[in-house]
Amino acid sequence: MKRPLLLLALGFSAWQAHAQGTCATAVNTVLATYYVAQVDGPEAPTPICTGGSTATLGRWYKYTATMDTVLMLTTDLAQNNGTDTRVHIYTGTCGNLTCLAGDDDSGSGYSSVVIFGVTTGTTYYIAFDNRWTASGFTFELRYAPPPPPIGGFTPQYVTTNGMAYCVVDMDGDGLDDAVSVTATNININYQLPGGGFTNVNRATTQADYTPSWSLCAGDLDGNGYTDLVYAGSGVTFMLANDDGLGFTELSQPEYIFCQRSNMVDINNDGELDLFVCHDVQPNVYYLNNGDGTWSWHQGGLGDQPDGGNYGSIWIDYNNDGNLDLFIAKCRGAGSPASIDELWRNNGDGTFTNVATAANFMADYHQSWSAAWADFDNDGDLDVMIGTSSFAGGGHKLLRNDGNDVFTNVTAGSGFDLFGGSSIEFIARDFDNDGYVDVLGGGALMRNNGDMTFTMMLVPCDNGPTGDLNNDGFVDVQNGNTIYMNGGNDNNWVKVITKGTISNANGIGARVEVMTPAGKQIRDIVSGDGFRYMSTLTAMFGLGQQTEITQITVRWPSGIINVVNNPSINSTITVIEDETQDVAMGVPTTVKPNLTVYPSPARTTLYLNSTRELAGSRISIIDLTGKVVATPTLVEHGIDISKLAEGLYIVKVETASGTLSARFVKE
Amino acid sequence: MAKRSAFLLVLLVVAAFIGCRKDEAISLGDGVPSGGGPVVDLDQVPYPLLSQYGFFVGPLADMRPAPGVEPYEVITPAFGDYAEKYRFMWIPPGRKASYVADGQALDFPEGTVLMKAPFYRRVLPGMGRQILDTRLLIRKNGTWIFAEYIWNEEQTEAVLDMQGKNVPLTWVDDDGQAHDEIFRIPSSGECMACHMKSGERIAISLKPQNLNRVVDYEEGPMNQLAKWVAQGYLESGYPSNIETVARWDDPDETLERRVRAYLDMNCSHCHNEGGFCGYRSMRFAWQESADPAHLGVCIPPDDPFEPGVQYIVQAGNAQRSMLYVRLSSTDEAVRMPLMERTVRHEEAIQLVADWINSLPPDCP
Repeated sequence: MKRPLLLLALGFSAWQAHAQGTCATAVNTVLATYYVAQVDGPEAPTPICTGGSTATLGRWYKYTATMDTVLMLTTDLAQNNGTDTRVHIYTGTCGNLTCLAGDDDSGSGYSSVVIFGVTTGTTYYIAFDNRWTASGFTFELRYAPPPPPIGGFTPQYVTTNGMAYCVVDMDGDGLDDAVSVTATNININYQLPGGGFTNVNRATTQADYTPSWSLCAGDLDGNGYTDLVYAGSGVTFMLANDDGLGFTELSQPEYIFCQRSNMVDINNDGELDLFVCHDVQPNVYYLNNGDGTWSWHQGGLGDQPDGGNYGSIWIDYNNDGNLDLFIAKCRGAGSPASIDELWRNNGDGTFTNVATAANFMADYHQSWSAAWADFDNDGDLDVMIGTSSFAGGGHKLLRNDGNDVFTNVTAGSGFDLFGGSSIEFIARDFDNDGYVDVLGGGALMRNNGDMTFTMMLVPCDNGPTGDLNNDGFVDVQNGNTIYMNGGNDNNWVKVITKGTISNANGIGARVEVMTPAGKQIRDIVSGDGFRYMSTLTAMFGLGQQTEITQITVRWPSGIINVVNNPSINSTITVIEDETQDVAMGVPTTVKPNLTVYPSPARTTLYLNSTRELAGSRISIIDLTGKVVATPTLVEHGIDISKLAEGLYIVKVETASGTLSARFVKE
Repeated sequence: MAKRSAFLLVLLVVAAFIGCRKDEAISLGDGVPSGGGPVVDLDQVPYPLLSQYGFFVGPLADMRPAPGVEPYEVITPAFGDYAEKYRFMWIPPGRKASYVADGQALDFPEGTVLMKAPFYRRVLPGMGRQILDTRLLIRKNGTWIFAEYIWNEEQTEAVLDMQGKNVPLTWVDDDGQAHDEIFRIPSSGECMACHMKSGERIAISLKPQNLNRVVDYEEGPMNQLAKWVAQGYLESGYPSNIETVARWDDPDETLERRVRAYLDMNCSHCHNEGGFCGYRSMRFAWQESADPAHLGVCIPPDDPFEPGVQYIVQAGNAQRSMLYVRLSSTDEAVRMPLMERTVRHEEAIQLVADWINSLPPDCP
């Protein structure tokens, strides 16, 4: 008797698999309860709407909304007896689905509960997968109350492909884009001026290394398009072509057990270099030769023989205009490789580890990243060295007291009681109240404005951050989910730095925003936290301040530019301009000059300098910071006949340094 | 099953060496110092060439040990992308190693050299044996120095090189299946990742608990440690009740003891108090791992790992256990061990899955 029954059951199951096994054969549902015999259909749901890994099999249903409402799908039902489910809800068409919602374990046990809004006439696909088990279960679809946004963040799904580790402006339009990569593809969600994204894939040649450990970004060659570096067991450069439509892959031969990577102009020659933390050896860096080649170096910036280098960040802790390097370090108990290092840039090409003198305890604290910011708005950068494991002690909040000395103010700050640990800690002003908060360890530590912090649970983990809906509030990406920051009524300003003599992104520039309430500062950083790359735009919250008296940018070149009375709640682009240099109280040396004539000029612009100009690389930059021409110097002149009328900057990279000047094209 | 037969083959090879040592006249091959026998001048080591030590007789690649060079066997070996390994020990005449603790490498005298040489038995296109490198730990000034010798293509010599190297090759397993591989020869920094504890350099596999086994010597089966005492390599008087590890692939052992043995030899040199990853809560050394919490059972990881994977070991559910996911992964930022493994060790993954799934599902 058993055998025919089994056959019958098999036949039934096969029929069901056929009917609901793929998106195309998804079964229509109404608001009711359904039994799923087994998750055995050949089409696994993709993309994944829950985070986590892909599965191999699926079960597909669909629902067409008859009214605008909010629905709940649940497997948290008594008859399921704790069966492990995972579900994805999509809009779109089969083969081109977009995540709307998804859930793994929100119900009791391993059951799923997901709430999602629906619009009249739209068809929604509901797909279960076998990530954890293929066992059968029952699900119910019914009306639900609308979900409240958690902690001010609302999830929004985007299409990604591979490691979604980067939020940065890729095309120089001033809007952050969301980038995900595989060894052979760069997927870019270009943010549209009116909101939303255009999703584009740029195929690449096979990268020798993927950013399994970290990714950093910046315009290495100054062509106006953002380049990427993948840091794995070595580094791969992905250099954006001059049209921004493709990338040229350049993998380096050296073995590196990469951890945090950063783009930074280490030798301050105007070219962005690459610094990489080495896990098991002294740190390494590639100096940018300016001609598409890089020179490998190891030593001088963290030389512990067995490494321990995890979270590097390049900031100016002592306000001397030179970029310093902090390295959050980690290793077993009692190992000197776990002692954090603070490398002061002496301004003459040398660096000195001043961690001990600066009162960074030489203890075996275990950290993979440190969040640097002026938490008390007193004009210098403080630091929260996040704990990756409490085995070596808790979080450390150090207040910068100037004169190269920090004071440990952890006790009573809130970080002494915060039990979350992480390899990722970043400093951002998430509520735009004018005080920088810290994200990491499964929570947002909100800055109370007095060097104390209050924990707030948020739905997002750490990830790349930026402004992905151009509303002035910091958003967080986790895989294919963007947690859009709902914001509040605080004011804000965003500052984009476009270098001309300094590197193209102004990485390493100090940005100061002055309001009647005082001064806030940010350093432009490529690569903070541990793994991700976040926006190169400086984002400032202004609280209830309604005016900005001045924005000051102190460029790595030493040039200082100011913008007086800029608008609030706007994006201000500051272009490095030697002719508008205000050395406010800063001792300066006489700079080599570049004069251009005639002005306005029509066909030929003549250049004159005390320096030798022959052989220089020349670029012409428009007011958006984009390189529009790279003319060749003939005698003393360059051809500008093809330029549109307007104001431009000419940048001349000579053998002994970079010069620039403004001119008007008629 | 493939691993099991490979293991037996190693035993046979070792037995053959021991036979050679007794029966054959020693003829000096290419590159062997004219005086014959090992020469370890601590002022000169590491030598530029492997042959200069005189550790081997006949063609170097035959790895036939010279008198005094002792092949040794461990109970549970470290996995290294399915490469087999030659293991030798040389202790200067008249000196002896001594017992410290069951789970701590023997205290070796000044001048000791420990050797490990990974190789694949059949490599395409010629189906010949290929030795990748030979790694020496040399006891000098009371610590270990590392010396990494990389073999040339002709397999006639191995040259000192501490920079590490990636060697692409295709090896063929016992079932005739070909496997593409980029074999990683470690740099000095990578050596230190495992061979370091609290800033001190350590030997890993030569722990009494991993050596305390019977080996088939020419004169008959004998306990390896007892044999070493008899030969004068080891001080007598070590404890008779050594807490000995299980063989990870012994079907007669319990799943738990096999898993603990595997984790001990593959993971515990980083996951101990002073190790590379000592700051994580796992304690995988044999003498520490009887405590389920040290294995991560129902313990959440320090960082959110993957949605749905809430514990290092989710008792009763391998799929939802970080330990299983990391052992299964080949992604270099996810996989464990971080080093010495780029491919999946299928038999070990299955073992760990079976063990986790056998645990009562008691995590909260």
